[in-house]
Amino acid sequence: MELTLLFAVLTGVAFLWLATRVSRRRLAGIDHLVDSVLAAAVTGMVAGRLAAMIFTGTNPITHPLDVVIVRGGVDTRVAAVTAVAALAWGFRPSVPARLDAVAPAALAGLAGWHAGCLWRGACLGTASDLPWSVALPGSDVTRHPVEVYASILLLVAAVGVSRLPARPWLATGAAVAGAGLARLVTQPLRPSLGGGPVLFYALAAFVGLIVVVAAVRGWMPRAGAPSDADHHPAT
Amino acid sequence: MPESGLVKLTLLTGLAVALLLTACGRSSGTTGGLAEFDRDGFEARLDESELPVIVNVWGSWCPPCRSEAPLFATAHQQFGDRIEFIGVDVQDTQEGAAGFIADYGIEFENLFDRTGEIRQMMGGIGAPITYFIAPGGGLVDTHIGVIDEQQLALGIDELLAQG
Repeated sequence: MELTLLFAVLTGVAFLWLATRVSRRRLAGIDHLVDSVLAAAVTGMVAGRLAAMIFTGTNPITHPLDVVIVRGGVDTRVAAVTAVAALAWGFRPSVPARLDAVAPAALAGLAGWHAGCLWRGACLGTASDLPWSVALPGSDVTRHPVEVYASILLLVAAVGVSRLPARPWLATGAAVAGAGLARLVTQPLRPSLGGGPVLFYALAAFVGLIVVVAAVRGWMPRAGAPSDADHHPAT
Repeated sequence: MPESGLVKLTLLTGLAVALLLTACGRSSGTTGGLAEFDRDGFEARLDESELPVIVNVWGSWCPPCRSEAPLFATAHQQFGDRIEFIGVDVQDTQEGAAGFIADYGIEFENLFDRTGEIRQMMGGIGAPITYFIAPGGGLVDTHIGVIDEQQLALGIDELLAQG
């Protein structure tokens, strides 16, 4: 029975939970926070899995049970966009304030998912001679622990985003940019058959940075009704 | 239990079931289209191989095998000149095998192993299984269960680096 993927998911949930505890003040006033984030993550995963099945030629209508074989592939692009959309939907009507509040915790959750490679034995990337490189058991080829790099970058991004001033959409934009950049810079070190969705990561980083600039300049709308979270500055 | 706790529990339970469900059914059948798996011949072929070999054990009755089949088709297109790919269809029907191969556009050679003898020969249980084999027949790694893109790419990289 394959348990390692489950452990990796639980590591992500643990990081997310810890981050919500650390940033309690920022998140005050948001009801069912972890529920909303977990629901968005599961929605994104299912959508990503369905997309992966369709893109690789498996009909989800004729093979409905294949949806649960998550290890068979999840389309990152569809999963990420769907998860963010589901989160925004769940945070109505105070979408910007709540997305901004949860942004660091979401990055920490992603960092935990990548750190879960330690459970899966799937941290290693391309060959490297750097002192901290690691070899597969029985192999002489040392490799970048690329998923650990990604985890560290996402944690640094989470801390950075949590220290940003409270401006509508600023933390959200920075988090999207941070997540995109963390994946973009580590992707060349990650073994893959097609190079990975590099353009998607680049697009996410670009869009995130545009949102950051717009937020700093005060161009972003402050949509929705005010909530308690709107009145708490970033911690 | 509070409502939020119930929602959380339901989500986590659903997630756990989704991640753990890798069991497969099975069926028996007759031979016809694919060449029969011959243990001695297969051993000799691996021993004499000058290229690394990736052997994927699959069955058309096995949903996890379906989920990874496109990866092997892609990997063969990309690395077929440097690595030999062989599929071994176990405990299947020839009709099922033909449909599976056509569905996923698999172009590498596949053998028909009515009894799943390859697993006795090389180790492992169930399906799918992926064996990474160095030139000359040395078994480098065995991956039991669904393989994802990163693990397959890493196995290929390891074979090429060692080769």
